[in-house]
Amino acid sequence: MAEEEKKEYWRWLESRWTSPDIDWKKGKVISAGVDVGSVSTQAVIMVDGQLYAFANMRTGSDSPNSAQNAFNRALEDTNGLTEKDVHYCVGTGYGRVNVPMAQKAITEIACHARGANFMYGPTVRTVLDMGGQDCKAIRIDEKGKVESFLMNDKCAAGTGRGMEVFSDLLTISINDVGQMSMEVEEEPEPVSSTCVIFAKTEATGLLRAGWPKNKVLAAYCRAMAGRVNELLQRVGVVKDFAITGGIAKNIGVVSRVEKLLDMKALPPKYDTQLAGAVGAALFAKGLYEKIKK
Amino acid sequence: MFTQFKDWYQNRHDYAKDWKARTGGKVMAYMCTYVPEEILYAADVLPVRVYGSHEASDLTEQHIFGMYCPFCRDCVAQVMEGRYDYADGVMIAQACLHMRQVYSSWEIHKPTEFMYYMPFPIAVESPHARPHLVAEYKTFIEAVEKWTGKKITIDDLDRGIEILNKNRELMRKVYELRLLDNPPLTGVECMHMTSSSQMVDKREHNQALEKLLKELPSRKTDRETGIRLMIVGSECDDIEFMDMVESLNSTFVADDHCTGSRAFWNSVEPEEDRLLAIAKRYLERPPCPTKDTTKNFVRFHHVMEMAKEAKVEGAVIIQQKFCDPHEIDIPLLRKRFEDNGIRTYFLELDVTVPIGQFKIRIEAFLEMLRADELPF
Repeated sequence: MAEEEKKEYWRWLESRWTSPDIDWKKGKVISAGVDVGSVSTQAVIMVDGQLYAFANMRTGSDSPNSAQNAFNRALEDTNGLTEKDVHYCVGTGYGRVNVPMAQKAITEIACHARGANFMYGPTVRTVLDMGGQDCKAIRIDEKGKVESFLMNDKCAAGTGRGMEVFSDLLTISINDVGQMSMEVEEEPEPVSSTCVIFAKTEATGLLRAGWPKNKVLAAYCRAMAGRVNELLQRVGVVKDFAITGGIAKNIGVVSRVEKLLDMKALPPKYDTQLAGAVGAALFAKGLYEKIKK
Repeated sequence: MFTQFKDWYQNRHDYAKDWKARTGGKVMAYMCTYVPEEILYAADVLPVRVYGSHEASDLTEQHIFGMYCPFCRDCVAQVMEGRYDYADGVMIAQACLHMRQVYSSWEIHKPTEFMYYMPFPIAVESPHARPHLVAEYKTFIEAVEKWTGKKITIDDLDRGIEILNKNRELMRKVYELRLLDNPPLTGVECMHMTSSSQMVDKREHNQALEKLLKELPSRKTDRETGIRLMIVGSECDDIEFMDMVESLNSTFVADDHCTGSRAFWNSVEPEEDRLLAIAKRYLERPPCPTKDTTKNFVRFHHVMEMAKEAKVEGAVIIQQKFCDPHEIDIPLLRKRFEDNGIRTYFLELDVTVPIGQFKIRIEAFLEMLRADELPF
């Protein structure tokens, strides 16, 4: 029991990756995007606008360090690529102005829009970014330009942080909560979506009342879906629809959002958490080309 | 150049106390810009509009329900903190129920020697509104005369009208400079000017405005105008918010709110019946949403004209949380802006301003407006 209490169920796996198909030395423009979010930090390196390497790490208490750590991690196993070889870097996310290697900061709204356009294709018109501490509903054009957007406010209910709280409460790994929430015979009523703490209190009561964990999770996933659906309806949902951010990996929330919208989200081809950093790296490429003209 | 206005705004209570000591006159703390200040000036009373402080307070909850707007809750806090204890009188002209609750709390918990609730027609365009308001003014004048012991004469009313009209005319001249390609003032500076006009003796304010207008047209600022914005909403003296927005390469070049242009835009047109002249001014001013009851939305037309004249590129629509009159207007107003090719962003304000949360939204909005600068 004591061992179970020490375990960090919320902790998701950090990752890194390098494309085996790209030789950066043959590239004309090497650009980078660093997205320092409230929960996770991603560093993406692109060669001529193609995804070459990335790192996805937990954000620490210090934004510059988090950015540097993720950037250094992305540079590992890249056949000698160093920071000096990167022509231009754009910082984005919550800590965008504290990215030491960035020449420019651009908001995560613009970067997620651009990143979603790259990751899901030019047909995407509505992007839902479900991040660590906020959600954004973004309408974009065929180039990935923002047409309108809305962000949640008031509380982290309906965000990744909220899901982490539930993961810890129910002692279920964050990687499994989505799937587990699907294992219910009948969809329960959602818990409160006004406040994470209210939702947690309500869930504690449901557990005491004998609800199984998967049913409680289903109730929370349903609440999250309802909350982001409100945001989406306010911005107006137009096909194609795509989800970015960490929660996009949670089938329990994604499937319920799709059900409420009566619309399928495009299947991801990349790690959904990368969208902001990918968009930043694409802007970095364009900005570098602009100054070189 | 705007230091005096900023100083008045920041030290409004010190100013009012000093004014009392200097003049021996009475101070009327008032709520809502439908209060006929002309009559108060005629009575040699200093009208001081009640503002909040944008500081969190634990004094309001017991007096006012949580779903009242942050501005009125903030105003109640100021009263309970004793910051308006120098006021000899308190009055309101009816506009919204939220502010009326402030008045009621004041009357119950900290009554002054003169408490006055002035009914004000809602349907300002109704043919019955003018005689109604003139009758209210007569009753009000009687009450003020009894309170001050001073008879208000026609000459007094003319003096009051002249002081107010002069203030309006001078501020309109400053607003004309906002229309320039490179306005010589920021939205924050303008806000200090308009807000302070509601706090200090307008004769002193007029002198400061005359001095300002001599220097302002030739002022060279060291900042770029950037994106031309309009700010629209209810009460809005959220200096910190406006300052943040203007630090992001943008300038507020127009506004429609009751701590700005809406309060002073039109003047009293002279006519034989002074009270009718004053009544017409308040009934025909750019309306507060509580008064804009026509199907065509008089205010919307006025706002669009202002936006076009100021070559506004984007509109920031801010609303005091739970402000029902504005909540009704905003969807239609946003549509009107968008139909005129002006993009909008909507934000809801609380007593304290969450600058960090708002900054990301405003930055993204400005990026959207200058999307051509980003490479696609």
